[in-house]
Amino acid sequence: MTDTAPYLPDFAPRFDTDLVRPYWDALARGHMVLPACSVCGAWQWYPYEFIKCHADAHQDWKPVPATGTLFTYTVVHRSFLPNAPRDTEPYVSALVELDGIPGVRIPTFLVNLEGRTPAIGMRVRLSPLPRSSYTAPAFEPVGQESRP
Amino acid sequence: MNPQTTLAIVGVGNTDYRRMHHLGLDALAVEAGRRAIADSGLAAPQIDGIILAGTMPPADEIAFACGMKNRAYTCHNAYTPGAGPVAALVEAQLAIRAGLASAVLVVYGVKTSKPGGPYAFHAADPLKADLEMPVGYYGQPLYFGCLAQRYRHEYGLADEQLGALAVAQRAWAARTPGSQKAEPITLDDYLAAPYVAEPLRNLDCCLISDGAGAYVVTTLERARDLPRTPAVVRGVAAGSNPWTLTEMFTQSPRFLDIGPGKVGERAMQQAGVSHGDVDVVQIYDCFTLSIILQLESLGFCAPGEGAALVGDGRTGPGGSLPVNTDGGHLCHAYIPGMTHVLEGVRQLRGERGDAQVADVKVSLVSTFAGPDHATLVLTHDNG
Repeated sequence: MTDTAPYLPDFAPRFDTDLVRPYWDALARGHMVLPACSVCGAWQWYPYEFIKCHADAHQDWKPVPATGTLFTYTVVHRSFLPNAPRDTEPYVSALVELDGIPGVRIPTFLVNLEGRTPAIGMRVRLSPLPRSSYTAPAFEPVGQESRP
Repeated sequence: MNPQTTLAIVGVGNTDYRRMHHLGLDALAVEAGRRAIADSGLAAPQIDGIILAGTMPPADEIAFACGMKNRAYTCHNAYTPGAGPVAALVEAQLAIRAGLASAVLVVYGVKTSKPGGPYAFHAADPLKADLEMPVGYYGQPLYFGCLAQRYRHEYGLADEQLGALAVAQRAWAARTPGSQKAEPITLDDYLAAPYVAEPLRNLDCCLISDGAGAYVVTTLERARDLPRTPAVVRGVAAGSNPWTLTEMFTQSPRFLDIGPGKVGERAMQQAGVSHGDVDVVQIYDCFTLSIILQLESLGFCAPGEGAALVGDGRTGPGGSLPVNTDGGHLCHAYIPGMTHVLEGVRQLRGERGDAQVADVKVSLVSTFAGPDHATLVLTHDNG
């Protein structure tokens, strides 16, 4: 496991639709919001043009906790992103489950490991990461403990 | 078994497989189709149905070039690529039993070595482009790397267990003419191979291929008058899990569930076979890990026991559970789901030379892509 990652992908959202703009706008301000059903409050992640539970509802973007647990991750040695160099240093891409929002998983970078090996179940907190034209979600370990 | 309503695969054919094939997908499909028809012993005008088992060039062009002058039934199945070549048998059954066709050509091919490769398929998804690619969550090796880490966390998974599958399939490929990767490897070679997305190495990943495969299916009654040993369709089922391809690699409520589940159960129940009856297995192998997860879902072992099951090399030549006996998508060719059907038929016919498994009576094929699954049980004609 290599924990120094000078290469991190820099691949701006394409914004084919405006559905995800509030997510990125909030990250640029340093926090995270997620969409919920305007009728019943159920989380709607990923966002869609329709609301799964209530046909006449709309997306209501709400603040969410900045802490959670690592659900899974992989150390990526070869990036297939169209703009990635052929040879890169490894980086860590992960899915994080936020506290109090079971079943919703955030695709994210895992950063600031400082020698720690990622462990599924480890506590993490949001640490948004500026890229050239957007701010990416990134999480970093909290404290020393991890739980399964 | 009613020979008028039971189907049998009577002809198989394929192109050569390689990167950057000089033929277009239409020409590859036609070549595979013609070979399958020639193998069947039927004349092209006797084949009155065609099923395209995935996104393909137009059916009229392919059927015309194959000499199918009496095309009455035309179908394009909409399963995700990978499931289609097996699921096509469900449509063929419906069509033949309803009298819409008497013999059907099923054809599928890909050119994954085109620019952007197989990854471009996912890059075209707006939500992946807007939520996953900006954090480098991109490419099938990463999806399956994340699945593998989660599997390791829940059940344990040794590099050597994945490696056993990679070594076994390379050994099968070495015994199979036309394999894209035919040089045998050892476990040490595997462990020395570079990571792509941990714990997956390049030797855990399937090939990039251009090529096509095809088969001809008709009633068992008719198959009995044809030259090839009929591969009798004793059980076939298709179905889908309740999530989208967009979400399954991040949001699936059953994250490790990439197997056929009840689809596999249905196919085996129809065929009246249990696991101990199965002589040879072809399983969709985009990655080594996928084989483990599907073997569990098919009931060859309990969830979490798949890695240990394959870890002793029993899926290789001479092993007690032969899997992907042409080398599979890892080493032979990546024509999603189609090469598995062709190999399942050829093993049952006993025409596989150095890679022939002794005395095959029951040949199982299970393939998937995204949420869609299909499972097939082939047997001999037992009267």
